[in-house]
Amino acid sequence: MNFKIEILTKKCFENSRGKNMLSKIYSMHINGIKKVEYSPLYVIGGNISFDEARIIAADLLSDKITETYAIAESDQHCKISSPILSMIEVWYKKNVTDTVSESIIKAVKDLGISKKFKIKTGHKYYLYGRISKAVLSRITTKLLANTLIQEYKIIK
Amino acid sequence: MKKVKVLILRTAGTNCDYETQMAFELCGAFAERVHIDILIEKKNKIFKYDILAFPGGFSYGDDIASGKILSNEIKNKLGDIVKKFAMSGRPIIGICNGFQVFVKMGLLPDPNVFEQVSSLYYNDSGRFECRWVYVKIEKKTRSIWVKNLPEIISLPVAHGEGKFIPKNKNLLKVLSKNNQIVLKYSSKDGNIPKYPLDPNGSSEQIAAISNPEGNILGLMPHPERYIFALQHPNREGFDSKYGWGKIIFQNAVDFVK
Amino acid sequence: MKDVNGCNIVDMLDLSDNQLVKLSKNNTFSLSLEEMKVIQRYFQGLKRNPTDIEIETIAQTWSEHCKHKTLTGIIRYTEFDDTKAQKVKTYKNLLKETIFKVTMELNKKWCWSVFEDNAGIIEFDSKNGVAFKVETHNHPSALDPYGGTSTGVGGAIRDILGVGLGAKPLANTNVFCFGNPNVELREIPKNIHHPKKVIKDAVAGVGDYGNKMGIPTVNGAVHFDNGYISNPLVYCGTFGIIPKNKIRKKVNVGDLILLVGGKTGRDGIHGATFSSLQLSYESDVNAVQMGNPIIEKKVLDAMLNARDLNLYRSVTDCGAGGLSSAIGELGRKTGAIVYLNKVPLKYSGLRPWEIWISEAQERMVFAVPPENKNKIIKVFKKEKVEAVFIGEFTKNKRLIIKYNNDVIANICMVFLHNEMPKSTKTAVYRIKKEKLQKSIKMSDDKISRTLKTLLSDLNICSREWIVRQYDHEVQGQTIVKPLQGNSIEISGPGDASIIFPYNIINGTKKGVVLSNGLNPQYGKINTYKMAASAIEEALRNAVAVGANIEKIALLDNFCWGNPNYPKILGGIVRAANACYDVAKAFETPFISGKDSLYNEYSIICKKYSIPSTILISAIGIIEDISKTITMPLKNKNNKLFLAGITRNELGGSVFAKIINISDGIVPSVYPMESKIIMKNIHMAIKKNLVESCHDCSEGGFAVAASEMAFASGKGIIINIDSIKTDMCPMTPIEILFSESNGRFIIEVKCENELKLREIFKNAVLTEVGYVSDDNNVIFESKMHKIRIKENTEDLLKAWRNTLNW
Repeated sequence: MNFKIEILTKKCFENSRGKNMLSKIYSMHINGIKKVEYSPLYVIGGNISFDEARIIAADLLSDKITETYAIAESDQHCKISSPILSMIEVWYKKNVTDTVSESIIKAVKDLGISKKFKIKTGHKYYLYGRISKAVLSRITTKLLANTLIQEYKIIK
Repeated sequence: MKKVKVLILRTAGTNCDYETQMAFELCGAFAERVHIDILIEKKNKIFKYDILAFPGGFSYGDDIASGKILSNEIKNKLGDIVKKFAMSGRPIIGICNGFQVFVKMGLLPDPNVFEQVSSLYYNDSGRFECRWVYVKIEKKTRSIWVKNLPEIISLPVAHGEGKFIPKNKNLLKVLSKNNQIVLKYSSKDGNIPKYPLDPNGSSEQIAAISNPEGNILGLMPHPERYIFALQHPNREGFDSKYGWGKIIFQNAVDFVK
Repeated sequence: MKDVNGCNIVDMLDLSDNQLVKLSKNNTFSLSLEEMKVIQRYFQGLKRNPTDIEIETIAQTWSEHCKHKTLTGIIRYTEFDDTKAQKVKTYKNLLKETIFKVTMELNKKWCWSVFEDNAGIIEFDSKNGVAFKVETHNHPSALDPYGGTSTGVGGAIRDILGVGLGAKPLANTNVFCFGNPNVELREIPKNIHHPKKVIKDAVAGVGDYGNKMGIPTVNGAVHFDNGYISNPLVYCGTFGIIPKNKIRKKVNVGDLILLVGGKTGRDGIHGATFSSLQLSYESDVNAVQMGNPIIEKKVLDAMLNARDLNLYRSVTDCGAGGLSSAIGELGRKTGAIVYLNKVPLKYSGLRPWEIWISEAQERMVFAVPPENKNKIIKVFKKEKVEAVFIGEFTKNKRLIIKYNNDVIANICMVFLHNEMPKSTKTAVYRIKKEKLQKSIKMSDDKISRTLKTLLSDLNICSREWIVRQYDHEVQGQTIVKPLQGNSIEISGPGDASIIFPYNIINGTKKGVVLSNGLNPQYGKINTYKMAASAIEEALRNAVAVGANIEKIALLDNFCWGNPNYPKILGGIVRAANACYDVAKAFETPFISGKDSLYNEYSIICKKYSIPSTILISAIGIIEDISKTITMPLKNKNNKLFLAGITRNELGGSVFAKIINISDGIVPSVYPMESKIIMKNIHMAIKKNLVESCHDCSEGGFAVAASEMAFASGKGIIINIDSIKTDMCPMTPIEILFSESNGRFIIEVKCENELKLREIFKNAVLTEVGYVSDDNNVIFESKMHKIRIKENTEDLLKAWRNTLNW
């Protein structure tokens, strides 16, 4: 089974990577976005059980103080229908080297989990604000993803 | 006279090990860079040393988050001996990435608890920053590392994740009550600084903390980059030659002697 | 094409010329018809068709990137000056007749290794040398700025690891040319990244790789011009320390081929041949390389151990062309057999030729004596670095590649390395007549505003936003920093950086100085003056912090458009000649260099070339690091002197751009004048007579003087009338903003004035003002009734706020 793990910055802390992206959007003179939140994403596949995925998310992938995590089966997305929110996921294309995933494989072994598994890393952006489809697509292809090496999914 | 022995723990991505070694050696110690795998193989080797140093760098690329993978590895494979070393009262220092590792495995603020209760998170600016800042030495600190220093010194910082965040407000009170806050970012004249002199937005401008006993120091600034006056942007220092960072290493070496 | 053992047989023996051209084009070989015909003839002689891996090997080895075939080929050059007079000259090998020639003629004993290895090496002390290399990484950075710059840094570092038997990197330098970040997004062609995105990602790439390697990025330059929007330039350089007895490398017959570091994937396939093609954004994902600094850091840690244990005889990095270039180069005098199955792969499904030419990052190739086989593996294992023997060096002077026990390539090394046909190209250069602008006058108010506009111009303003994202102090050895200020809160632009390698060479007092010179705006008018000025600027920058011009070496990096256009190649010829003339006159040898051509792009079927750009980097040895200085003013009442003559040279200047004039004379270099001044400054610094020093470059005297003031928070009073000009009369405005070369502003204590004048008795040195006790920057001319007054804080603000995201 594949699990998708999303790491969320707790609301009481600054989502500085999201803020950084917002400033990039502003610096391109694109208006309409009020806030950006960023979450790292991971998909773990192989023989990993749900409990093991939870340990990996809690002890390794998230920071106990500033972050929380959510685990879902891989193809599910939370269904939020808000007119002011867009969500975009960005993943490396096949055969593009994902260096972080190699480090995670080592770290999971250190946790005492010795099963074979695969992991891939991605990014999720929450964009708040009223923007047209065309602008959303421009932000996505010009800023959030480098379409040469990354693919993206506009979830909403 | 006995030669003080320092273990500088390194792993893939450690990169401030040489200058840390030089800093201790300049203070008369014998400092050795040891790869973590060697220590995992022969754990008890650690007790041959008087001082333990976790230098700066990007351990395992700081993949996931800074210091995360190394703290996880140390806690799972060396946790017991590092704790024992700490409880023996010997000096331990974690600089930058070392501090991040300490906080994430829970060696600081209290090795008795040995659980993560604080964090070093992304700078408010959202990017890596390399600059010199002023730090104020807290008057009541019990740290053995910061004696014989003027009230305010300047030191370089270079990090992307240095914003100190406690689990809750109560922890800040405890740290303050136990005199565990060692250094705070400061303006030149000792006032509360604004960005960029406050480089990351830490709670209470905290730049360094210690355990209640004062033998363990974790700090974001890099004292090992200020051994000589020449390293200072304005070439300031003491005895017309040395930088104030040297005193920090000297204190630990003298403490062991 | 037939498929045999994972290889295709390339049917070429009977192809016509047209078909050969098509074959080269369809497969991204980037080989000319002439070259294809030589290959065809070779295989006709063997009475068989080549395999794809064979022809790929030849294409890599003969690529522009690896062979510099344009600049080492035959060039028929014609030059016209403004009187329409013609000068004709044929170059058999432009590089040998200009850049190399300087070095050969100067024949400096302290140049230990020039133009032969991965980097040039000069003497540091009797036991150690300094190796320095700067490379371009333009095409990958255009496609993916983050991946491009990070692998560029990684590649420059590997060049230093792969020089001799390996040097320990000390510092990085990075130079960028970008489009204007303030252009509207809708003005950017489709499929091209907005300059702001390019800048942010490029800086992040350099920072991430350099910071994680623990190598400080200490110096650089950034130039903005809209000619770089579609094709930004990225130069990455590294220097390191190498023991003298680790410089010579050799390969013995029977040595084993050891591949170390990262696994091989489809990364960067055709990077080498791709660099001789113009950019097209349909380029596939395989052209992109991904870096992993931690693997490279592990390789660095492990290989220096292996070096000090004498476990290998030779090493080189896997750069452009991958294994093909690395093994082809190491084995060119012996021969080599490679078992391709043994190469560790990132994933399955790679064809043999892809494994062979992949430019996957963080890989090095070693020649290991068989008796050290187990020992060296142990050393790499300790640092968790993958190391695999993949073949050996043979005595048959052939390159043989086996895959699944079948021979899939068998080519003669002599053919591979020596039989590339020389290209012949035509070059033309028309020297533009430069016309003096109409004399410029302005009100005091306008001058004040112009000064602030200059300080905030993209090509002058603070690079702090970039510099702070680089760890420029890791290793603790950066004693003259990229940003310099007399307190922690303020800063000004340092001229050069100095590394004091106390961690590596115990007890040394010496240092290494690094600087750069670059000004493509001059090249738009005159590429000769651009190259000459770049050399002078690099030298001036180094001298301003205390370097001795007698111990400075240079590196050249040419970035130009498509050299098949005679006009473009003509610009290169002119610049190369300037390199010879000026470097010879200054007696500063070139020790290494690189070129990146075909920097052109098309927008809606129209082709554009980048502005012709030469970067000159200088490296020098400082005898005593305590005899070095920075640029901020030090104390009130100290006197200010200007060394050198101010000429009416506003052509290509930032001032000319701001007030929108196209006339003006581009600054010339007067080496005989400048050399004496540079020697004098070094002497004066050595004798502790100089408190601060700053060279005049973009923006001229007024900008340089203002920078010294705001970097210290101290005011100055300057008497414009006292500034020494040449015969041609100049208005105060022209004096303030002319970009004449060969000038330094020097701050001196009153009691040292006479001693300084004594040193300068053979050169122009004029007292122009003093450091005041407030923070006002005042320029005045009693003769012309001009008085400009600004305070340092406002000037600092103007300088700081442009690039501040």
